[in-house]
Amino acid sequence: MQAKPLGLVFFPAFDWAISPTHPEREERLLYTRDQLVEEGLLDIPGIKEYKPRLAKIADAERVHIGVPDIASLITDAHLVSAGGAITAAEAVVSGDVERAFALVRPPGHHAMRVVHGTRGFCTINIEAIMIEYLRRQRGIGRVAIVDTDVHHGDGTQDIFYHDPDTLFISFHQDGRTLYPGTGFTDEAGGPRAFGTTINLPLPPGTTDEGMHYILDNLVLPILADFAPDLIINSAGQDNHYSDPLAGMAVTAQGYARLADKLKADIAVLEGGYSIEDALPYVNTGIILAMAGLDYRRVVEPDIARAPKSIARNTAYIEKLVRQQMGLWQNRFSLSRQACTKAGDYWQRQRHIYYDDSSISEQQLERVRVCTKCHGFITVESQSNGDYQGDYKSIFAAIIPREPCAACRQQAKDAALLAKTQGQFQHYIIQDKENDFVERL
Amino acid sequence: MRKRGNTMLLGIDVGGTFTDAVVISNAKILAQAKYATTHGDLMEGMLAALDLVLSGIDTSQIQRVALSTTIVTNTVVEGKTDKVALVLMPGPGLDIAKMVPQEPYIISGYVDHRGREVARPDESEIKVVCRKAEKIANFAVVGKFAVRNPAIEQAVAAMIRQYVAPAYITIGSEISGSLNFWRRTNSAYYNSAVWRQFGIFATAVNQALTVRGITAPVYVLKADGGTLPLDTARNYPVEAIFTGPAASVLGIMALAAPEGEAVSLDIGGTTTDIALWRDGVPLFAERGAVINGYPTAVRSFWLSSVGIGGDSLVRRQGGVLAVGPSREGPPMAVGGPKPTVSDAMIVAGIASFGDHAKAVAAMAQLAEGEQDVKLIAKEVLQVAAGKITTAIGDMLAAKAAEPVERVADIISSNTIQPNLVVGVGGAAAGIAPLVAAQLGVKVKVPKGATVANAVGAAVAKPTLAVTFRADTEERYFTVAELGLQDKLENKRVSLNDAEILAKKYLAERAAQAGIGVGKMETVYAEEFNLVRGFQTVGKIITCQQQIKPGVFTDVAIEEGE
Ligand SMILES: [Zn+2]
Ligand SMILES: [Zn+2]
Repeated sequence: MQAKPLGLVFFPAFDWAISPTHPEREERLLYTRDQLVEEGLLDIPGIKEYKPRLAKIADAERVHIGVPDIASLITDAHLVSAGGAITAAEAVVSGDVERAFALVRPPGHHAMRVVHGTRGFCTINIEAIMIEYLRRQRGIGRVAIVDTDVHHGDGTQDIFYHDPDTLFISFHQDGRTLYPGTGFTDEAGGPRAFGTTINLPLPPGTTDEGMHYILDNLVLPILADFAPDLIINSAGQDNHYSDPLAGMAVTAQGYARLADKLKADIAVLEGGYSIEDALPYVNTGIILAMAGLDYRRVVEPDIARAPKSIARNTAYIEKLVRQQMGLWQNRFSLSRQACTKAGDYWQRQRHIYYDDSSISEQQLERVRVCTKCHGFITVESQSNGDYQGDYKSIFAAIIPREPCAACRQQAKDAALLAKTQGQFQHYIIQDKENDFVERL
Repeated sequence: MRKRGNTMLLGIDVGGTFTDAVVISNAKILAQAKYATTHGDLMEGMLAALDLVLSGIDTSQIQRVALSTTIVTNTVVEGKTDKVALVLMPGPGLDIAKMVPQEPYIISGYVDHRGREVARPDESEIKVVCRKAEKIANFAVVGKFAVRNPAIEQAVAAMIRQYVAPAYITIGSEISGSLNFWRRTNSAYYNSAVWRQFGIFATAVNQALTVRGITAPVYVLKADGGTLPLDTARNYPVEAIFTGPAASVLGIMALAAPEGEAVSLDIGGTTTDIALWRDGVPLFAERGAVINGYPTAVRSFWLSSVGIGGDSLVRRQGGVLAVGPSREGPPMAVGGPKPTVSDAMIVAGIASFGDHAKAVAAMAQLAEGEQDVKLIAKEVLQVAAGKITTAIGDMLAAKAAEPVERVADIISSNTIQPNLVVGVGGAAAGIAPLVAAQLGVKVKVPKGATVANAVGAAVAKPTLAVTFRADTEERYFTVAELGLQDKLENKRVSLNDAEILAKKYLAERAAQAGIGVGKMETVYAEEFNLVRGFQTVGKIITCQQQIKPGVFTDVAIEEGE
């Protein structure tokens, strides 16, 4: 049996938990480990296991602005999981393997650009850290992320919202019925990157059929059109019919066939909390599919429980696909319209809730609508811990990867001005051109 | 004068070229003998070596006989294996039907990762299998996750016995208590496939020893460096594969007792076997041995083989000296056609055998211009040592890159930093010191290195392992190797309790096998809280205990022996 070379970084973090009874606890990947070992997957020629490296704080600060800094917000586990994603990516980019799967925890897709604490079980965004590492160290340009977690990947969306070189497609259970309550179709990217964020909110009860309709008729055509250098799958597994935190109806076969069709270069585990009934089978299915092996026998023992498709959902999904395909096809003109409408600066005021840290953040984000570069960004952020009464604030100016001279200068000026006005505790310039963070 | 009352240990190593026999008494080699291995019938060469070593020995004083033999390896390599009715319960997952040495019979029935029976085996299917496999003498029954509920494999075996009468049925969970259905399947297949041949061999050995007045218990060496009583081993013959390298490693343990972190080299005719050591014990292969290309659950030492030995060919390639991995005959000093590493050792004054002038001529062939033959010889040995040093570096890197499951194990990295090189084998004296110098560590080349394998077999201690696993939510525990699954009386069992229980069952298994318990050690232990709906509802505790591999006695070789 010869597999297509697949790199596997399996790091179950058996000594790490958010709290003893939290869904993100030591036990989460125990049964997955048992299944992978019992199947002998790590012995199959062509499946190569890698030990995760430790990511550096600088790898995280290339993406995030920690308040007051990233080091004080994370544990070693976060650096291992981000490092695991980087290890997987390196295995692919170096040509050692054809694809790779970072089956690691803790997860990351709810971690946004600015980090005050942990939200949706995530503190730092491991895919984003991996992507920006690849851009900096390996000269990767265009990247597409397909987020197949049941929850909207709001952190990843936030980080790449103004980046037209990063296509972010997320399908998830509708934000009106599930955390984090975002991911609607009108969240389509900043004016210069309009259309490179694509949200597909799905009704509870969506099945394999619904998911594959979206994949075949929207996701795959758009990926072909965007022609990225790399396809990343944020491989959450909580769309499974047995997941305790959500209400979808996808099976292990559904996920395995998705992995087979998507042909992601790198998959990174996100959520999935049906630790006994789903994860062992879904992960086995994904690994076999990514290695080009027969996955048809990977079937949950309680498959009879899986709900069937509902006609109403099917009609909704078909309409959603038509609508979002229209948006994709018209994205350039829509982007021009959005730029005109925004004027010199686009801005939004948001409230962001950190469920795991009991923190609420108020954030004002502004991006310069620039014709020469992605535009510099400023973020004014203040947070309150609900119980401790902790108050933290920061002003951040972000210089994009390939800035024009004006954006570079204006970002610095904005940070210096804010510092002189002195309304925040911390002032920071994140210089993505020079891969450098400056604290004022 | 040989004193009465001394413990005498008889060790026999059937190697690829020679069969060696030693008698050890008072931590010394009392007698040793060598005979060319007889490949057609291994017994012939074994008995010849035995008779040579026993001449002048009072056989009634022999208290223990241990064999390291290639019988199982030969049976596999020479294709003398028997057909096996391989009955699998794969449940859901990877389809391994085409990944095993023989086409299996797939039947329904399986247990899940918690040992819960999800589907019952179907007797009508088993009946059909038995009809099809009527003429096959040996069966093997393996179920996915059956180590978590051995009853399912036993139930199938019992049903098979209702319809046919196989000579032997290998039960997967008895062969290994560790997870890895594919490896257990391959192990169980080979166990049944070599069972008959091993039985014939065991009977012949028993008869031969009886005829020679030896009544001492007889043991065979296993790939993990432990021994099993010959009669117990009849049912686990697959464990007796690849014992040569294991015997060598134990020989090194007895002759040199490397402490701390070390590297051992067995430098033979064409290859060097490298092992890494920690705290005086060689490291094990992470998952198991590979037999004929099939990964198995047979525990074995972690060895890396590099193509450098005394007979390795030396030549110039584009002006650069190249050594091995090919061999084109013996050293020129003993009439071979081309320069070899041994010729270099003779010229360098490290070895003294054969015709010195011919060895010099060999080195002269390699010389450039007026280059001194001694300098060439030294350069050859450095190149040979360099290849071994590189292979050691690869092993150390592989060790450091071994995946782990805990954050703590990433932070404190799992590296080995050897501070000693131990060399045995014919070319050890010439090459091991150079490897040590290249690594910047000390070196030890014990005397008696040429019979290290037979010494290793003679002094190897028995080993056995059990895997105790308790699931306090499901309220049961298993000891797979004993085929045991039972109700858990104490729901509050801790990892500490599990360790005590594992030791108890290990002692029980040892008693069944007829061996002493010796020193036990924890191979593996883990404990998880089970949380359902934000409540802790139980624990899953696993503890694998083994009787530590080791030697009964260190063996010292005196000058002149
Ligand atoms: Zn999720
Ligand atoms: Zn600009």
